[in-house]
Amino acid sequence: MKYALRAICFAFLITMLSALPARAGEINVSAAASLREAVTELTGTFAKNTPGTTFKNNLAASGSLAKQIVNGAPADIFFSANPEWMEYLKGKKLMDETNITTLAYNVLVFVGKPELKVKTMRDVVTLEKIAIGSPKSVPAGQYAADAFRKAGIEKQLENKLVMARDVRECLMYADRGDVSGAFVYKTDAEQMARNVKILFIVPQELYPRVTYPVGLTAAGSRKAEAGAFYRFLQSSDAKKILVKYGFIVK
Amino acid sequence: MILGHSDYLAILLSLKVASVATILSLPFGFAVAYLMTYRRFRGIVVLDVIVNLPLTLPPVVIGYLLLLLLGQHGWVGRYVLQPLGIKLIFTWKAAVIATAVVGFPLMVRSIRTGMETIDQRLVQASRTLGAGWFDTIVTVIAPLSIRGLIAGSILMFARGLGEFGATIVVAGNIPGITQTIPLAIYEYVSSPRGDAIAIALCLISICISVAVLVFYEWLGRRMVRAD
Repeated sequence: MKYALRAICFAFLITMLSALPARAGEINVSAAASLREAVTELTGTFAKNTPGTTFKNNLAASGSLAKQIVNGAPADIFFSANPEWMEYLKGKKLMDETNITTLAYNVLVFVGKPELKVKTMRDVVTLEKIAIGSPKSVPAGQYAADAFRKAGIEKQLENKLVMARDVRECLMYADRGDVSGAFVYKTDAEQMARNVKILFIVPQELYPRVTYPVGLTAAGSRKAEAGAFYRFLQSSDAKKILVKYGFIVK
Repeated sequence: MILGHSDYLAILLSLKVASVATILSLPFGFAVAYLMTYRRFRGIVVLDVIVNLPLTLPPVVIGYLLLLLLGQHGWVGRYVLQPLGIKLIFTWKAAVIATAVVGFPLMVRSIRTGMETIDQRLVQASRTLGAGWFDTIVTVIAPLSIRGLIAGSILMFARGLGEFGATIVVAGNIPGITQTIPLAIYEYVSSPRGDAIAIALCLISICISVAVLVFYEWLGRRMVRAD
């Protein structure tokens, strides 16, 4: 009995110890939910060309990711869907300030059932329920909320907004027909929408341009592999992949 | 105070959803507990499993099953609710349904415990004295299982205050409409600037739960004394 107990403790200890150090060549990626397919292909391509490198991709709302990183989540590279959460981490000294760059741009659109006659922001007010990302942590929701304010329809939309965890959940609500429409990125709508289509593009003068900064975190700057991946992101191969998924790279 | 308008609404909504779910479940809970305690019939095991399933299932599973059932493309949603013009998904009523399903087993268990302590001779006496089964329920079983009824209601109310998994799936997260305290806390927790409000809402949540438990204890003691 005593031996068995000792053996179990020993096995447990070994497991704990072997789990502690991150495996060499493993890169932890925290990326905005809207980048899901693009980041999967970017990391896949890099891993194929760099044997021994593996990726762990964490995809969620940029604000949620920033909060996770503040709380100590392992992350070597951070893709945000707005500059705000990148600045936030920079302010907390969690980013490597010399290695932050703008990766791509995007456009905010409104999706809904094809038969809906919704052409402008004013028409959105007539709908029953609209999904946006929670502006507290989802950049797509923050851009949408900015647009509501600028268009002067903020008050009318109160109590109509279903707050989604990230932009993909927002699109899913609309696609499943549980809400009349949703504010998402053009790239999400083009790749994922099955039952809904883009009804209009939100006029650019209503919200700041959707900008994706990417950077090495303080932890990532000490990893050679992460640095190499960061440089790969600025190559023309990486740009081609982003363009393929509908992102704007200049 | 750092709480905003929508946070106060979340507190009120939590109380409202938990109370409505409890009150609506009370007659059903009593009926099911009665069937399981006093009736012997085929399929009692099936009923037992179905009633207790929400206790062991992840609430998210319950939420998703409800969504599949009541949503735009679900059987009930398409063939019953839509023709009647009823919209449930993403309304506070959906939160009530989710909370009721998740808390129901707790209520049934408490009521059953109460019923099982009733002296069987009293029930038999009422029947021999000519009371029908319905009369027996109303005049003997219900009054004697009042403690179980109250305990079950309080337990279910407390569980309802904490309902998260099923609610977020069927009722969504709409500030002022379906955003209860747990949903609001979840939203603040995943937001970089939400810590202060999240903690404030946690404290309020703790206060309500402590108040409910103290009330439960107090009532229990009073009833023992009344015996």
